[in-house]
Amino acid sequence: MAVDQLSTTFAALADPTRRSILARLAEGEATVNELAQPFPITVQAVSKHLKVLERAGLIARGRSAQLRPSRLQGEALRDVAVWLAEYRRFWDESFDRLDEHLRGLQRDG
Amino acid sequence: MAEQATAHEIAITRIFDAPRELVWDAWTQPEQLARWWGKRGWNTPVSSVTLDVRPGGSFRLTSIADDDGREMPLDAVYREVVEPERLVWGDRDGERHATVTFTDLGDGRTEMAFRTTMRTTDEIRRNAEGGLSSAFDRLGKHLRPQPRSHA
Repeated sequence: MAVDQLSTTFAALADPTRRSILARLAEGEATVNELAQPFPITVQAVSKHLKVLERAGLIARGRSAQLRPSRLQGEALRDVAVWLAEYRRFWDESFDRLDEHLRGLQRDG
Repeated sequence: MAEQATAHEIAITRIFDAPRELVWDAWTQPEQLARWWGKRGWNTPVSSVTLDVRPGGSFRLTSIADDDGREMPLDAVYREVVEPERLVWGDRDGERHATVTFTDLGDGRTEMAFRTTMRTTDEIRRNAEGGLSSAFDRLGKHLRPQPRSHA
């Protein structure tokens, strides 16, 4: 697994506008104009966000020069989810052990 | 200020059947912390643990994987220490922090609320190098065709 790709993906996800764009794309593909509509920002700004998302592997964009509709790519998101789940597991398992440790203390004490 | 960059946060709440002072001690005494810290399949030698429990004090340890000896160090600093209620610690560069709060439920039990935030990509990369690669190692092992013995 290319860890740097994951960093790029996380950086892309750190921006709330980009997360909103992804949420919109989860409903189906959309053009840059359609994506710009709900945001108080220019089409150019949305275009920039799309470039970041594309570089992060989170979306793919169509070839047709005019519209270039964007759509979600599941793979990168799955990698993020896998990593987060792994990180969460660290704490869940630690706290399971803490629970056992505390029970042991009370039994012995 | 943390909000805008807060892409990912993990929050876990647990209730322990133990008085708050006991839970506090389990977090702040090296020989106790060493017994529970880390995922299953890892152990944290008490000799690696430094808990200088005061603001600015070190929170340091190294966990070691049972199977291949991989090391996962933590090198943090306590930011806030309110005995027996609350501990806040973070990386030395201030990129990440974690908070744990203990609430006395009044019936001998304690609620522990834990929260950690990942703020920067560097932080994520460092953790990913340990966490994700081991996850993928395991996945790889799992997916690799099992050797078969033909009679």
